[in-house]
Amino acid sequence: MAMCSKFLGSVSALIAVGWTGIAAAQDVTLEYWVYSDFAQGDALALQQQFISEFTAKHPGVKINIVGKGDADLTAGQIAGAASGNIPDVFMNGIGTGAQLVEVGALANIHDKWMAMPEEYRSQFDESAIKNCTPEPGKMYCLPYTGYGSLLFRNLTVLEKAGIDPSVPPATWAEWLDQMKKVKEAGMYAIPDQALIFNSIAEMYAISGDVSTWGIDWETRTTRIDPDVMAEVLQKFVDMAPLTSGTSRNDQATKDLFITDNLAFHTVGPWVNPTYEEASKNGKLKYDFVLIPGDTPDKHGGIQNYEIIGVAPGENFDIAWEFASYVTEKEQMARWAKLLSRFNSNVAAMNDPEVSALPLISKSVEAVKYAMDVMPPYLVKAAPSCYSSTVVDYVSATADGDYTPEEGAKEMIAELNDCLAE
Amino acid sequence: MTAPSRPRLTVWTVLKWALAILVAIIAVFPVWWMINVVFSLPGEPVSINPRLWPTSIAAGIEKIQMIFAETGYLRAYGVSLLYAALTIFGVLLIGSLAAFEFALFEFRGKRVLFAVIMLSLMVPTAVTIIPTYLLTSSLGWLNTMQGLVVPGLASAFGLFMLVQFMGAIPRDMIEAARLDGASHFQIYWHVALPLCRNALVTLAILTFMQTWGNYMWPLIVATRPEMYTVGQVVGLFNAPLSHQTVDVVMTANLLAAIPPLLFFLIFQRKIVEGIAMSGTKG
Amino acid sequence: MPSLRRHLPQYLMIAPFVVLFVAFFLYPIVSGFYYSFHDWNGVDAPRFIGLANYEKLLGSRDFGRAMGNLATYISITVPLGILVAFGLALLVDSFTGRWASFFRNAYFVPVVLPAFLAATIWRWIYAPNFGLLNMILGWFGIPSINFLNDTDSMIYALIAVDVWVSAGFNMVIFLAGLKNIPGELYEAARLDGANKWQQIVHITVPMLGPVMFFVITYSIISAMQVFDKPWLLTGSSFAEYGGRRGALLFPVMDMMGRAFGEVHFGEAAAYGFLLTVAIILLTLASFAVRKWRRS
Repeated sequence: MAMCSKFLGSVSALIAVGWTGIAAAQDVTLEYWVYSDFAQGDALALQQQFISEFTAKHPGVKINIVGKGDADLTAGQIAGAASGNIPDVFMNGIGTGAQLVEVGALANIHDKWMAMPEEYRSQFDESAIKNCTPEPGKMYCLPYTGYGSLLFRNLTVLEKAGIDPSVPPATWAEWLDQMKKVKEAGMYAIPDQALIFNSIAEMYAISGDVSTWGIDWETRTTRIDPDVMAEVLQKFVDMAPLTSGTSRNDQATKDLFITDNLAFHTVGPWVNPTYEEASKNGKLKYDFVLIPGDTPDKHGGIQNYEIIGVAPGENFDIAWEFASYVTEKEQMARWAKLLSRFNSNVAAMNDPEVSALPLISKSVEAVKYAMDVMPPYLVKAAPSCYSSTVVDYVSATADGDYTPEEGAKEMIAELNDCLAE
Repeated sequence: MTAPSRPRLTVWTVLKWALAILVAIIAVFPVWWMINVVFSLPGEPVSINPRLWPTSIAAGIEKIQMIFAETGYLRAYGVSLLYAALTIFGVLLIGSLAAFEFALFEFRGKRVLFAVIMLSLMVPTAVTIIPTYLLTSSLGWLNTMQGLVVPGLASAFGLFMLVQFMGAIPRDMIEAARLDGASHFQIYWHVALPLCRNALVTLAILTFMQTWGNYMWPLIVATRPEMYTVGQVVGLFNAPLSHQTVDVVMTANLLAAIPPLLFFLIFQRKIVEGIAMSGTKG
Repeated sequence: MPSLRRHLPQYLMIAPFVVLFVAFFLYPIVSGFYYSFHDWNGVDAPRFIGLANYEKLLGSRDFGRAMGNLATYISITVPLGILVAFGLALLVDSFTGRWASFFRNAYFVPVVLPAFLAATIWRWIYAPNFGLLNMILGWFGIPSINFLNDTDSMIYALIAVDVWVSAGFNMVIFLAGLKNIPGELYEAARLDGANKWQQIVHITVPMLGPVMFFVITYSIISAMQVFDKPWLLTGSSFAEYGGRRGALLFPVMDMMGRAFGEVHFGEAAAYGFLLTVAIILLTLASFAVRKWRRS
């Protein structure tokens, strides 16, 4: 058949193309998995510079950098653990750490860490290190980049609504008042915060704090406090008529913001490139401030970190060396400067050139108040029903199916059901 | 005056054309809209409706060049095409060999075997993905082309479809060929295969779509960038908290759709030719 | 064995398929079945826990919700999808030459789009207030609908995307079937005075029998395994999936979440087998209906 022979021809041609480019092994080759945006453009160039600096000092070591999207990192690491093919050094979100510990992908680096000079260890944010250390003697990760959520404000919308944008809202009450004015002026105040677990956590932090958030694994119960949750649910009820109906992470939300239809967006700094482009090309006027709290001395918002983990196995020693090199102040400062991104290395954040960057200095401030999203980390993987239950009851209460008190009570009861085995 | 051979313009004809055009718009406009988003300035809001035309060709070309320069997109095209070509070839060959027997001949164990294969069609892939992955890994096939291709070759779906079509081949044609002295394999090759050409082309298209869109399997089997498929490269842009702007994300997505579109357009001609040929033969 | 020798050509011809099938389908299915009775994280030795995975699933809220959504989804999307596809096939078939291939190609375009692309496009079309669809509704004075976040509309929004994508696929299969119906049959019917509608009911539909059966069965099987469209439309991740109040939570999504989000591979396997049983029952039902219709 003509079709078949054509097939064979093209197949053999393609085999020739596809088989090239499979690298030969050297003395030691480390697989280094990073987030996809760290393996593109300028970020990739800098990562490759770190690699070449490191390999210059460690002859015979070769490092393959591999970029992956968020979910792909997790699926790849878990599948790799099952077949004994874990990357040697890799990134992920700290929230996924428990799963990675469970499948043995993350080595205990406690002894290596303790063997480092005090001068290195003291560079890091203390609470971030604590999050990587679920119990004494067990440390599973180095905190890397991170964020504290910020309140992005569209200044044009605020002006149109008759609000003076020079003074950011100091309390929740002021903020809600502004939101109502925006709505009255015919624009949207805020995305629907009830849609996503992280935006709910951002709102919870306005009234509560980390002492009543997360899971108590000893008793397998939620730490959420019913009174605080009821207060927070009331906020969702108040916001319900003011929202755009899109979630914090929707691309459509960014679009509303760019087109001067949305006043506030509580989110991490990753939206900034989009907003910056829009203000360069168009006429978007925006800024970012801290999310107000119930009282002027408190702030809402969450913090979350990416981590660098090291796999157990024969390359463990050199993999640790590399991980500790990348997270060292010198590198973290260069990294922060290039991407204008906050990270967990306090010493790097205090570098004058770094702290001069507005997005970073605001993030440093935000993180002081922000609440961890899903503590405690690295203990056990939270069952999927946990976050979906929180989201469900917040949505249902915002829809008017429950009063805030009922919603909080029912939510906590169901969370405890979900956690019980 | 229209020529007498032409059909008269009836209400039915008008409605038919109106419906056909409306459906075509519904099917194609969203893709056109997407192209218009790609060919617009970065930072321009996506939601200006209706976007009927591209607003900046230069900006779109710049985005495409940026993506080709910064990711292994071209290599991923190669990997994906090879993956799809080998899979199609294998599925068609192995599936048609087996379908020929299952559809036209009786042999011991046929019913049980076919039932088991059909039952497997009903097991969601998510159940088998981890055991299959572990098997592939213990064969040493991670990050290889055979690791991508071979586990998907015994397509129960392909078999099901080909058996349905081959079942329609008249038995006396097979008998006639046998009386002419054709061997078993020759009957398969010279009689059965040409008769189900349309089904094979259809299966080739469906297999291509499925392979091209397959995401989970390449994700865990081909973890090295050298072996990334197009789906994985696009996945680099689709991360929800990505720092990329929307239009760049859409560009990466759109580039992934071009090969399947071309593939389909080329094979459409094949189908038409195949039908025309069988018509003249009869 | 004489029968083995007599059928040697048969066995040789099916051997490649059978070998690959046993290695890459049967073995994983059987081992998945084995793991479904175990507590297994994919790495450590599986621990036998009897029916605990199954019990846990049957008592879990999300399982019930996913199955409920699935029932609604299948009962609408399968008949609707087939009806639309059949209609499109007849429509395309009524054209000839260049226009027939033009419309066929146009209707097939959504099929060739990768799922993530289709989802991205539709998320924009469905956007509240300023999305394309709400803009068109606005022309008729209909207030904006939050298609992907309003629990009443979410499943229909999914079904619309689903039909948009799958109609072209099934249409091509129907068209291949239509081409195999001898023209003489229509000729004869026309001479007998049958109108278009009668021709469709009495010739096209019965002659498409096997193809129709194929399309129905395959639509049911693939609808039961629906995953990527709702996953992408709701912007799901392993940590959070299913959309507002779980209105677009489907079994395979829940299964993947339990596997890669919680690393409970045994539980995910059990989930898969409960779903498999449901698929088998439904397929048997469709076989039974077919038999009953024939008798």
